[in-house]
Amino acid sequence: MSLFFQSLVLGVLLGGLYALLAAGLTLYFGVMRVVMIAHSAFLILAAYLAWFFTSETGLDPLLSLVVTVPLFFVTGVAMQRLLISRLRPATLTMMSVLLTFSVALVIEGMLGFVFSGTQRRIRLPYSGDSIELFGANIAVVKLIAFGLAAVSLGALFLILKKTQFGQALRATIQHPDAARLVGINTDRIAGYGFGLGLATAAIGGTALALDSTIYPSLHWHWIGPLMAIIVVGGLGSIPGAAIAAMLLGLGQSLLQIPLGTTWAQTIFYVALFATLMVRPQGFFGGRLAQRF
Amino acid sequence: MKVTTTHRVGALALASCLTLSACMSSGSSSSGEEGDGPINIGISLPLTGDFSEPGKGVQRGYEAWADYVNENGGLLGRDVELTILDDQSNADRVASDYEKLINQDGVDLVFGPFSTRLVVPAAQVAQDYGFLFVEPAGAAEEVFTQGFDNLFYAAPAVADDHYDYLADAIEALPEGQRPKTAAYAAMDDPFAMGTAYGLKTRLEEMGVETVVDEVYPPNTTDFGSIAAKIADSKADIVVGGTQYQDAVNMIVALRQLGYQPKMAAFSTAPTNPEFPEAIGEQTEGILSPTGYTPEADYPTNAEFVEYYTEREGNPPAEDEANAWTTGQVVAAAVEAVGCADPDPECQQQLIDWLRENEVDTVVGPLTWDSEGRPEGAHLIQQYVDGEIRIVLPEEAAEADLILEKPEW
Amino acid sequence: MRSASDTTTATSTGRGGMLLKGAGLLVLAALVLAFPAMAPDPFILSVGVVIMSYAVLATSWNFVGGFTGYISLGHASYSGLGAYATALLVIHTGINPWVAMLLGGLVVAALAVPIGIASLRVRGASFVIVSIAMVLILLLVFQSWGEVTGGSNGLRVPRPFGPDVLRPEQHERFFYLHAALLAVALLAWWAIDRSRFGTGLKAIREDEDKAQSLGVPTFSYKLTAFVVSAFFTALGGGLYALWFGFLDPIFQFSILVGSYMVLMSLLGGIRSLFGPFLGAVIVGYAVEFFKNQYGDTQFHLVAMGLLLGIVVLFMPDGIIPAVSSLLRRFRPEAASIREVSQADLAEQRRRTSSPSTSGTARVASPADGESTGDADDGSPDRLSEGVQR
Repeated sequence: MSLFFQSLVLGVLLGGLYALLAAGLTLYFGVMRVVMIAHSAFLILAAYLAWFFTSETGLDPLLSLVVTVPLFFVTGVAMQRLLISRLRPATLTMMSVLLTFSVALVIEGMLGFVFSGTQRRIRLPYSGDSIELFGANIAVVKLIAFGLAAVSLGALFLILKKTQFGQALRATIQHPDAARLVGINTDRIAGYGFGLGLATAAIGGTALALDSTIYPSLHWHWIGPLMAIIVVGGLGSIPGAAIAAMLLGLGQSLLQIPLGTTWAQTIFYVALFATLMVRPQGFFGGRLAQRF
Repeated sequence: MKVTTTHRVGALALASCLTLSACMSSGSSSSGEEGDGPINIGISLPLTGDFSEPGKGVQRGYEAWADYVNENGGLLGRDVELTILDDQSNADRVASDYEKLINQDGVDLVFGPFSTRLVVPAAQVAQDYGFLFVEPAGAAEEVFTQGFDNLFYAAPAVADDHYDYLADAIEALPEGQRPKTAAYAAMDDPFAMGTAYGLKTRLEEMGVETVVDEVYPPNTTDFGSIAAKIADSKADIVVGGTQYQDAVNMIVALRQLGYQPKMAAFSTAPTNPEFPEAIGEQTEGILSPTGYTPEADYPTNAEFVEYYTEREGNPPAEDEANAWTTGQVVAAAVEAVGCADPDPECQQQLIDWLRENEVDTVVGPLTWDSEGRPEGAHLIQQYVDGEIRIVLPEEAAEADLILEKPEW
Repeated sequence: MRSASDTTTATSTGRGGMLLKGAGLLVLAALVLAFPAMAPDPFILSVGVVIMSYAVLATSWNFVGGFTGYISLGHASYSGLGAYATALLVIHTGINPWVAMLLGGLVVAALAVPIGIASLRVRGASFVIVSIAMVLILLLVFQSWGEVTGGSNGLRVPRPFGPDVLRPEQHERFFYLHAALLAVALLAWWAIDRSRFGTGLKAIREDEDKAQSLGVPTFSYKLTAFVVSAFFTALGGGLYALWFGFLDPIFQFSILVGSYMVLMSLLGGIRSLFGPFLGAVIVGYAVEFFKNQYGDTQFHLVAMGLLLGIVVLFMPDGIIPAVSSLLRRFRPEAASIREVSQADLAEQRRRTSSPSTSGTARVASPADGESTGDADDGSPDRLSEGVQR
């Protein structure tokens, strides 16, 4: 029973990170109808920057967020304005996949070029520490990562819900033409939306770097589950992505008990196919997405 | 009219490709006929990509060996020249690299690449052209069951036998002191799995119960769930079939869960000089098999360690030693047979000689069975007082085996 | 569009065009057939086999990519499945390897049906996601299911030719075999291109909604094209497996292999019969060249990424259309009925067209190789809205 509870806790912690990253990925799709393959490559880039920051300065990797979050936001805006917006609208989805795919390759190549293929891990004095909760051990680093994800997701929610920018963004997601008609500069909003999505990658990458080894080709390992999550959650729906992320993260963690690590990973793909067969618009999209 | 232009473009491209490929081939080829020129040795190594870290270690070992040979009169009186290509950790590339080395660069001899996954396709090419194929890394059983008659593994033991001394030591313990339960976690990689399952087979024969048996994909970075299973089983001994970072991650994850085994054995990682830095104070008592130690008193070893340390600033590790061993093995055959050229007859003589003879190397005297398996065993090392020391077998031990691992 | 227009132009320009076309084909075939004799050493020959294999795969990819405009980044799934199916059939049943290859192709085609149903019910985005997911899931399965697939130990594939056939001779035979498979694939592509089915597919590529409203059975058309594509890709994978002789899941089910197919097709031109072939020759050669020049760095990934990005941004129609339109400009006889350039025409249409004139009209219009349809503001986000289809 304690193993079950332990796995449950680990699943929640993992699901939180998935939720933040999937929120970013679904945001791009919402504002631009873009499947951003490079999302997880930026995630790994942020993790490398955090690692580099810590190994150079000796300071806590969380401090690197001060640099990476604004940097990634600007990069995201620039990417949308300079690259994505150049594509023809009729072929946007397909061509943007290829374009972001090529960005992912360049990032992976450059990471290998600069930092070599060696696996890296941030050395933290508290990496082995844990706190006990009802018989389950919760690693401090995982808790920090989860906290980071939860806070960022909350902040994202507030930005979208409470600010004028968020309203404009939601309008752009729901009906770009109507948004344009009421005077919203949808191009600029889409750029900011892209920046916001990339900022989640910066935070997610730093959280990831706290308790995981990183290497340049790691991003392929992340993009599959994340894409499955956003389809299950309903493309473009942020709450849908968050819920699907939590459920699938939990599912993965619990399935590891009977099935082992490898087969447990297939839950994402099984869920993806099941969703497309049964309910192609996603399980949590539709109504829920309208509200956002 | 588009049709014709279409075809014309295609034809033009193809024609230019042909001429270009012809250009590509010219210039670099230096035929290796018998003579006084240098002996050209072709090698393909993963210098970039997933296996690049150990690949570079092997490269250092090869280069040090070549320089050492050249400073000491060469091979058959001829200088040794290495042609090292990068296979990008890719099986398609490694085959094409050896194809290139043999056909275009006209190398006289080939040395093996790194990693089991790349050895098999490379060995196939070498076999097809009749080349002797001595390889520094490719310890998994699968390498030797493919029917290659040109292949020799230049290290003391195949993966499955790495823990033999440890298994013997456990068997020698009184029944009551032996571990009763064991947890295994191995990377899905022929080499890493081979080491862990080699020990598993032995322990199960002794009646040690297997309580966890996990295999994880090579790209795994989150060991939380695996660690949770192991911790939950409270196994007396934990065995990790690991490469490097996976061992670090697993140990951290196990510590996070407060699991304290009586014995912990991990392959490869603990022998890495960066391991104690990554784990910190908690290395005490961790066991690991190794094919090489700089302290070993085999005839040529002291010279190797001295030469290498002077050259690189630090003593050689296992990858470097295996590369050096590969050089020694081939050199011994070349000196004995008296030829080093790509002619199949010469290569066959080299192969035949190695089948029959023992070679003294920095990892000890080596002999091979008919499939190229070396017939030795690995030493067992353990972190004792913060240093990694040889603890088994007793005749080579530098420190006493710690049976009850301190808490980590 | 390009090839559809080829036929019309050819007939309109008459016998001379046909002759030139035939001559061009003959020259191309002669060059391919002469390659093994011209290759200076077996290494170059082996590079030739790899390039031909890429050409087969890229051409096979183009059945779905070129006709329907659906871009699959995961076609390595089908080449990998074809390779494993062939290998396992040979190993376990001992049947003739060529029969095994064909059976392997059929098995994969059958598997492609449910995959196609899942991923083609919705438009674009989900198709791409499924294509990538397929590679990742197959990698996991083939890696873990060791008893059957050999897992991470890899799988040796028995050689179809005996040990008395030396390696250079093997290369030569496999070069011709790949060339033959390529010829079959090209022929099939050409036949579909000329057929009613092909016209329907291209209508889907230009505007799926309008194609559907005009009575094209879009779903079954897309599915058929997808299955045909998977079949040829699997044959290509199987043939490569027989040549290479060793399968390892991480190299078979690799996203990079799939993306090479896309890059090659896109670079050469996905609307052209010979586009993927040309792309394969260029990329295959470039890969060798880059490795020669920058072998010890990760630069090959960066180079590939940059090349793909440049093609997508500046040359989405590929080299063949770009070059041939350039050539045409300097040729007096090309100025037949149309004096306006393609770009002008497309621009003109973009400004004036009402929805009814684009759609099918464009499908038959010979000169339109320029774009995958106008920026039709009527359905800017057809993907999201098409989710239910």
